[in-house]
This record gives sequence, structure tokens and C-alpha cells, in this order.
Amino acid sequence: MNTTLLDKFRKICLKLGENNKPTYVVMSIAAVKGICRPAFTMMDKKEEPKTKKYTAIREGLTEIIAIPVYWLLGEGSAKLANKFLPEELKAKGAKNCMLIGVCAAALVVIPGLCSLAIKPLMDKFYHNKKGINLEKSDKNLSFIEPKTNPISQNTYSPVKRPSMQTFAGVGPYKSYGMKVGGV
Amino acid sequence: MINGITKILTSNSLNNITSNTNSQVMMETTLKAIGRPGFILIDNDIDDDTKKYAAAKEFLYQATCLLVYATIVVPVFKKGTFKLAQKLFKPEEIGDFKSSKQYAHYLKLCDTTLNNRQKTLEKEIKGVYKTDADGNKVRKLVKDEYSSLMVEELNKEHPNKFPILKGAVEFGNIVGSVFGLAIFAPQVSHLFIHPVLNALGFEKHKNSANTSESSQVLDKKV
Repeated sequence: MNTTLLDKFRKICLKLGENNKPTYVVMSIAAVKGICRPAFTMMDKKEEPKTKKYTAIREGLTEIIAIPVYWLLGEGSAKLANKFLPEELKAKGAKNCMLIGVCAAALVVIPGLCSLAIKPLMDKFYHNKKGINLEKSDKNLSFIEPKTNPISQNTYSPVKRPSMQTFAGVGPYKSYGMKVGGV
Repeated sequence: MINGITKILTSNSLNNITSNTNSQVMMETTLKAIGRPGFILIDNDIDDDTKKYAAAKEFLYQATCLLVYATIVVPVFKKGTFKLAQKLFKPEEIGDFKSSKQYAHYLKLCDTTLNNRQKTLEKEIKGVYKTDADGNKVRKLVKDEYSSLMVEELNKEHPNKFPILKGAVEFGNIVGSVFGLAIFAPQVSHLFIHPVLNALGFEKHKNSANTSESSQVLDKKV
């Protein structure tokens, strides 16, 4: 391996070996998922384009919400631990608290925030600015019962008229249908 | 009360999870498998059938991710990066270990006090024997598993933890986690989820809901 590249790899390894924060892995997973999951959804040929687009935006938004939440909760809980724990336990406690913060984010905060924020955001994406809940309005519409006797169809059939083209194709003038202006 | 919380927050078992990327990811995925379906089930805006279907789908997705991660990604990437580190770095930077498992055991020993560590090194390993100088079969000791250099290191008050090797293993774990959970597991789950949902009877519900919805739409148009 190239020396500079090896040095860089050594530096990364040393940093990770000395201080591997729980936020690193969850944030990197969320970042790659935010790109790959929508991409895979869009590549699915079985789904309809509208459904694909909706699902992809939803998946992307979930991960966009997840990244800052992981960081905020992880770093925030570590800072909180540093404030309250005794000096000799700070290093160990801060890291453990960071993991607890990340776990809380995964279990409660991110799913909760997603269920609160994604719906209005999706409405904005689909230009429903008046705040009409399409699902609810759809539900109301589904209660309209179809008529038992639907409107009977008009059975009118056009009258067949006799053809007036008695000498069609005969003589110097051929008939090309009705023309305004003679020629 | 405060002492109890402090003890939990600074406990060694929690610290072991925190310092290992694999256990962090597994813990996080398990919590996701509980949290996400749970929040779907308590959502009041969705009808019951859709809720059950979405929650089951999300749970199966996270469970598949966890299974794929534990069975394929962890062993492959852990062993792979350990071997790569052995090739790339000098022996004084990474120590003398036979496997990543032995290094993990070494790190656990480093976290204990010198007295406890020395006691552990003198313990016999059950079921593993060696022949001594007289040709007799005797039980192998824990210290016999390590090279003399590493035993010397473990007898120090503050042994070298070889952070570069630990970082290399963690780097491999992070890359493996990203690849496994963001790229590989969704593909596997895509193949696996629909047949399982079908077998559980959730797909039928979804299909019947869809057909009834579509018939209603047709009626409205009429």
C-alpha cells in the first residue's frame, strides 16, 4: 500500500482505537442508508412510479432525521454525564452515556419524530399546502355507497344513412369526402 | 439512588458493549426492531390492517438485518481486517496475537487489576491438554495460549492495549456494518420478507384491502 495512504489509515485506526464513539457507526450507517435505500426503492421495477417516489422520499427523510438526532442525543448525554459524574469516572461514564443516548434515539426519539414530522413534510412534497389530510378525506369518501341501480346506459345507435356516392371513382373527379370551397 | 445510577453508567459490562462496534450495532438494531413497529402500531391515522402489515414488515426487515449482520458480516469483516492489520502494520504496533478472538480476550484482561489478571493467567483451561517436559499430559493454562511477549505485557501494571490493532478491527466493523445494514441486508430482506408475510397471511389482507379500495374507486366514478 502507498505510504501516505498507509499513514492515513494508521491515523484513522489509532483514533478509532483510542476513542471509538458509538455515534460514528450509527451516523455512518444512517448516511449510507439515506442514499442506498431510496435508490434501491427507485430501482424496483414491480412498484408503480408514484408509490416508488413516495416510499423513496419517506425513507430518505427518515434517515435525514436520524443523523442529527443520533449526534445530538449521543453528544448531549455524554456532556450531561461529564457534568454530573466524579472526575475519575468521567471518561468511562461519558462513553457509556453516549451509547444510552444513541439507544434512546433508536428506540423512542427517531420513530416518534418520524411519525410526527414525516406526514406534514410529505404533504409539502406533494403540494398539499392547505393542510388537507388526503388519507382522511379518502376515508370519508369511501363511506359513500355506490347506487344500487346505476344510471342506465343510453342505447341510442346511429341511423345508417344511404351512401350518396353513386359514381364514386368514376370520371375525372374522385370523391375525397366533403370539401369546403369546391376544389 | 444516585450511586446506583453511577454504578450502572460506569459498569464494565456496559463499557464492553460501548467499546465494541458489533455489539453497539446489534443493540441498536434490536431496539429499532422494537421501537419502529411499536410506533407504527400506536399511530391512530392508519387503519388496523395496514398498521399490522406495516409493523410486521418493519419488524421482519430489522430482524433480517440483525440475522444477516450477525451471521455473515461480523465474522467476515472482523477476521478480514485483523488479517489485513497483521499484514500492514509492524509487530510492535499490533502485538503478537493468533486471532481477533484472542485479542478481544487480551483486552478484557487489560481492563482488570494486575492481581486478578495474574490469577486468570494461572487458571487451567478445561478440556485442553499439553505435554510437559517429562512427557506427561497436563492441562493447558491461560497464559500458555499467549506468546511470551504478551504474557510479559500482561504482567505489567498498565499493559499496552495496541490501539492501532483495536482501531483496525473497529474500522473493519464500521465498514462491515455500513455495507451489511445499508447495502446487503435490504437486498436479502427484499427476497425474504414477502414470502414470510404471505405465509403469515398479511399479504392477503393487504391485497383484499387493495381490491376493495379499487372497487370503491370504480363505484365512485360510476
